[in-house]
Amino acid sequence: MPTSPDRQAEIRIDRIACSAHGICASLLPRDIQLDEWGYPVIANAAVDPAEGETAIRLCPARALYWAGT
Amino acid sequence: MTLIEQLDASGLTGRGGAAFSTGTKVRAAIENRAALIVNACDGEIGATKDAWVVENHLADLVQGAKLIAPGRLGGIRYAAHRGSATASRLAAAGLEVLEVPHRYVSSEESALISLASGQLARPMTKRTPFVYGGRDVQGRQVAPTVVLNAETVWRVAQIADRGSAWFRSFGTPTEPGPRLVTIGGSVHSPGVFAAAAGIPLADLLRAAGAAGAEGAGGIPGPVWLGGLGGFFLTEAEAAGAIWSNAGLAAYGGSTGPGVINVLAPDRCPLAQVSSLLSYAAGESAGQCGPCMFGLPAVSAQWAELIARPTSRAVDQFSARVDLLIGRGACRFPDGVAGMVRSALRVFGQHLAEHAAGNCPLEGKVAHAYLA
Repeated sequence: MPTSPDRQAEIRIDRIACSAHGICASLLPRDIQLDEWGYPVIANAAVDPAEGETAIRLCPARALYWAGT
Repeated sequence: MTLIEQLDASGLTGRGGAAFSTGTKVRAAIENRAALIVNACDGEIGATKDAWVVENHLADLVQGAKLIAPGRLGGIRYAAHRGSATASRLAAAGLEVLEVPHRYVSSEESALISLASGQLARPMTKRTPFVYGGRDVQGRQVAPTVVLNAETVWRVAQIADRGSAWFRSFGTPTEPGPRLVTIGGSVHSPGVFAAAAGIPLADLLRAAGAAGAEGAGGIPGPVWLGGLGGFFLTEAEAAGAIWSNAGLAAYGGSTGPGVINVLAPDRCPLAQVSSLLSYAAGESAGQCGPCMFGLPAVSAQWAELIARPTSRAVDQFSARVDLLIGRGACRFPDGVAGMVRSALRVFGQHLAEHAAGNCPLEGKVAHAYLA
């Protein structure tokens, strides 16, 4: 299991796993927006670690992860 | 000197297009006892240099592969398109051939690893480099595997045999070594040519029998380099450009996979790009949303744009192209985005002439989507 991310940790999307549920954009509205088909566009990957953890946990497609993990 | 020291000293980089340090890659491969896939697919449009290496230097290629995966003869596979002459040659030599479907992304690094693992030849998400092993999207384990382009493996054998000083006697200090290029399109003698970074592009084109008007520096048409992930040059730019990453950076390009194509001078370049985009749209593996929806959308919008260009349409188109960047498991959509941005730059003047409803080369612009 990945250790808890440090300050510089960046969130990543497994683009194959992602199926455009859009939960990440709801949970991280400042950092992630959706394109016209509902797929996430990352404006800022260095998201708040606690908020990022929540998004990773709640992604229905299990498509979110910390870079390098 | 060990092989890795020789490779580091030579400065060899991957010849498939990504230009990553081969010494670094081979070190990780040997440390992780990684299986080796020699990529002889010539996956980029117009490329035939891997086939040339297999046809002309197979013994050296096999020797290079053995050096990279020592004592792991069962762990070496040669990837070639199914039914190709290259696949037949490799099989006839008793080598283990990984037969790859004829799709653009099938010969992408992680797609080959997926195929070698018994799955479909589709790109995988690269959370960490597959040389350390990893998991596919279904969570199945993938054994440590490294993919090297056939020309790269041949160069490894040459460096082991002749030394890094020999290798560095070609090219430039920052981009050393001999390189193969495949030249095609509107030239009299298309084929594979020996080149090195730092050579004037015009010399390479002349070697392939390019003959154009004096006014265009002898270049017969716009030049398309690097395939679907590549870029374009005007005739005048091609006449003066140096073929190296340093020389091509000013045009947003690089030597890439070593593919050079002279576009037909009498056909609308925008229509030629249109053909490339509709091909690209059909080659998405259909896994990543931004690619499977984005590429067909970009292709369709390009067709509309060149029929009725306005500055607003250009802006809207550019915004859509930007959304292809960094949003796929592989770099296919990024490559297409770079190519289409380059097309807008190089053929911008031509596009402006379409605004009046008339193509300077092909006459009345067909309003295929808007009529």
